[in-house]
Amino acid sequence: MDMDLKRLAKLSRLKFTPEEEARYQAEMERIVAMVEKLPDLDASGPLIDPDNPMSMREDKSERLFSRDELLKNAPEVQAGCVVVPRTVE
Amino acid sequence: MELYRMTAAELSRMLAEKKVSSKEITQSVLARIADNDRKIKAYLTVDAEGALRQAETVDKKRMKGEALPPLAGIPVAIKDNICTRGLRTTCASRMLENFVPPYDATVIQKLKAAGVVFPGKLNMDEFAMGSSTENSYFQVTCNPFDTDRVPGGSSGGSAAAVAACETIAALGSDTGGSIRQPASFCGIVGLKPTYGAVSRYGLVAFASSLDQIGPMARSVADTAMLCDVIFGKDSHDTTSADRGYPSFAEALRPEVKGLKIGIPKEYFSDGISEAVKEAVMRAAKEYQKMGAELVEISLPSTDYALAAYYIIASAEASSNLARFDGVKYGHRSENYGSLEELYENSRSEGFGPEVKRRIMLGTYVLSSGYYDAYYKKAKFTQLMIQERFKQAFAACDLILTPTTPDTAFKIGENIGDQIKMYMNDILTVTVNIAGLPAISIPCAFDSKGLPIGAQLIGAKFSEQILLNAAAALEKQLGGFGRCAALA
Amino acid sequence: MEHKGYEVVIGLEVHAELNTESKIYCSCKNEFGLEVNTQCCPICMGMPGTLPTLNKKVVEYAARMGYALNCSINRVCKQDRKNYFYPDLPKAYQISQYDIPLCEHGYLDILVDGEERRIGVTRIHIEEDAGKLIHDDSFSGTLVDFNRCGVPLIEIVSEPDLRSSKEAKAYLDTIRAILIYLGISDGKMQEGSIRCDINVSVHRPGEPFGQRTEMKNVNTFSGAVRAIEYEAARQIELLESGGVISQETRRWDDAKGQNTLLRSKENAEDYRYFPEPDLSTIVLEQAVLDAIKASIPELPNKKLVRYMREFALPEEDARLLVEQMDKAAYFEELTALGKIKPKSASNWILGDISRLTNETGKTVPELGLPAERLAELIAMAETNRISSSAAKAVLEEMLKTGRPAEAIVAEKGLEQVSDTSALQTIVDEVVANNQKSLDDYRNGKTNALGFLVGQCMKASKGKGNPALMKEMLLKILQQ
Repeated sequence: MDMDLKRLAKLSRLKFTPEEEARYQAEMERIVAMVEKLPDLDASGPLIDPDNPMSMREDKSERLFSRDELLKNAPEVQAGCVVVPRTVE
Repeated sequence: MELYRMTAAELSRMLAEKKVSSKEITQSVLARIADNDRKIKAYLTVDAEGALRQAETVDKKRMKGEALPPLAGIPVAIKDNICTRGLRTTCASRMLENFVPPYDATVIQKLKAAGVVFPGKLNMDEFAMGSSTENSYFQVTCNPFDTDRVPGGSSGGSAAAVAACETIAALGSDTGGSIRQPASFCGIVGLKPTYGAVSRYGLVAFASSLDQIGPMARSVADTAMLCDVIFGKDSHDTTSADRGYPSFAEALRPEVKGLKIGIPKEYFSDGISEAVKEAVMRAAKEYQKMGAELVEISLPSTDYALAAYYIIASAEASSNLARFDGVKYGHRSENYGSLEELYENSRSEGFGPEVKRRIMLGTYVLSSGYYDAYYKKAKFTQLMIQERFKQAFAACDLILTPTTPDTAFKIGENIGDQIKMYMNDILTVTVNIAGLPAISIPCAFDSKGLPIGAQLIGAKFSEQILLNAAAALEKQLGGFGRCAALA
Repeated sequence: MEHKGYEVVIGLEVHAELNTESKIYCSCKNEFGLEVNTQCCPICMGMPGTLPTLNKKVVEYAARMGYALNCSINRVCKQDRKNYFYPDLPKAYQISQYDIPLCEHGYLDILVDGEERRIGVTRIHIEEDAGKLIHDDSFSGTLVDFNRCGVPLIEIVSEPDLRSSKEAKAYLDTIRAILIYLGISDGKMQEGSIRCDINVSVHRPGEPFGQRTEMKNVNTFSGAVRAIEYEAARQIELLESGGVISQETRRWDDAKGQNTLLRSKENAEDYRYFPEPDLSTIVLEQAVLDAIKASIPELPNKKLVRYMREFALPEEDARLLVEQMDKAAYFEELTALGKIKPKSASNWILGDISRLTNETGKTVPELGLPAERLAELIAMAETNRISSSAAKAVLEEMLKTGRPAEAIVAEKGLEQVSDTSALQTIVDEVVANNQKSLDDYRNGKTNALGFLVGQCMKASKGKGNPALMKEMLLKILQQ
């Protein structure tokens, strides 16, 4: 098992204390061992299901929501925008 | 009998005959919640005001002589991962503790149009990940048959509320057994529809390719009535099937004569408790008595389905739950300087341990170098399983299995052992992997007085056959009858 | 540009916004420049529980581009999720296409220095745009505007077939012209409708390709030229000083004219692509695809070459003509009449007609001047029946009144006098009255001739054929 918990946490944007890290590492290794019980089968070729075609939407626009409604759940709003820490220098 | 103990079918008749008003029914259910939910802890949000307002609107329409749909005026509570406009929808997560959706899920729109009353939102495992409802950030729901035990999960709040008569019926969602397993633990009926039968629009996604919303009720007839409202093609969900559905409730006949019922030996293995095996085999014998033919069939190992399920579901979950980043909605940590800290701290504080494990597992199986060995192989395993079910349904009309390996376990009993917890899903996940419909129906009680559920699995879009067969067993066994003992 | 004997190898990833009415996965309006966060909904803001629905027109538009770039179209294809965290990406994944793009294996012929070059097009896929981040010095944080989330994009990926910044520029110009011809994108660079990522490597001819780097944040075509030159020079300098090029992503800063390291290979993003489970398979009917293919007009790169070959137009003229479809169509109408020289038609369209469309903001058809009418006028100028200044005046009058040139010329008596005996009288009279200019000319002040022609024109009240009168004057002066 070569699970790099730190890298997975980074990719998942999760943070663990060292104690948590040890616990999760052990737990995750058991879980991965469980999901490795897959049958031996040929898994080449693309994952596509041609028997399941999608009906597409016509190109028509409509406006149903106000900005206030959409931003009501936002933790921080200024000037009609959601605010995050500065992303560039 | 108190109104809150009645079934939707009974109440619908009484409402139509104007023997009772929706307001009276709603008040009865709300009083029951106020009285009983301290013990059961099934509800996360009770919307008494909204429910009474809906009830009064329906009553007014009825007074005016308007023709109303069968469920008009009847309380149906909603699992808290289905978006309700203006009513908090938490997914039982700290992440969404204060989230109020600006829109209604398609099923909510349909239920509203049918005049259904919403008493409130029900507890669940956080983001529908779990089999005991212990993964709720807010509270642990108790099994009404033994409050020291879990109600199952993830729709544990729904199952417990229905079983404890704190609602007439409920909606749950089922990704790997989340309707059927708690229905089994709480002695009620729970149907997981064919993938694509019910719109997922507004269901907070756990695993998009597996999730389905479904009804949970105290009778098969009530289950059919809810199916009549929520089934159907939705232009907002491209994965919803483009087909019409005749009324399941009207076509409901408790009959199995001439049906071939498949018994897969893989689902009666050593991991299943003797009491459960015996109870389900007794149900099989009942079916035989009623004129069905039992045939032995073979299905792929349940281990394969469980492995494929945890890979596919977690992969999709890791992506579906990435949007909870503290930016637009949901929990934002108070402790951050940079954007990365905002992400990491908000997500680490907002999600519970099981959700984190699934996100990590999903990230792992999709990450570069592991995709082919895990995710892709699991998807091909899924195809193999689907194919094997197709073959099985050439030999039988229905498949009968236990719903769960055992009856409800004690609160806290499995909490430290994920693998043991995951084994709860071993008999249900295959159905989601294969995209099939399945129903769990109470068939017996064990020596501790805990309900045992039987699972009927059908071919795609064979819900009517499932409901008829479930109704036949219900008729034979007497149906939901233990609620009175719980008060 | 001098590259010290190295060959530069360039591949481009062009992102073009499609000008559909609604967004790719929801029914919000696809429009630039509106007030922040007013063109969004729960779907494009990635609210929990929402699902995407694919806009049919996006697929049709992308297939149009696919046919225009000679691609094969995958009648059955799918969409995938590209997972990464950024505040402008509300779902924290972009719906794109990974292993089965809508279009692939195409090519584009571009004209560079009069030579046609064939550039391979690896693939074209559909995807959604991200939102916009707003930074302001008056404010310590970053503001997020979701209006652009879900604006439909096509990404056109080229093979590493380009060998200079000049070729890259020609490729980009051609892509842009085709997008506009197909009516699928407005091609407005300043609104960010077209953006590109650039892959650059250098090597010695005959040796294998060098390690490539990727450059992001290139927002103009001229910026692309500068970015390529900078990166090629950086790589060559690094190699010359004994260094090695590493696989990395760099960020172009056009204001500073340099790029900086964005992330190295070790920190490369792991996007964890997987099939988008919320959308079923895209399955296109062959009949729909055939109709799309049949609707592709002659494209500007092909027109350009044809105009140069068939009409012997200089490259610059041909390029300007094909740039806008209405002008090219008008040119073809004019020449098809067979009454005038293609070069005259071209001169008129690039001259007066372009001036008029610019001034009025109208398209050529909106000017309301049928090709037959203009051809009459051009023919009169070509045969010197009217002077060029008279022709301009007639054009104005035609546009104002809608009357034919013939009638206007007759009414206003604008026809040039080419009768030599009548003109000889005028010329003789001007010569008699301007002895000083004659002397000047004979003393080497050749511009006195212009003055004398002017005097003749004046005496003929503008109707004399200036070329003829000039000839007559010269005959007298050289006696």
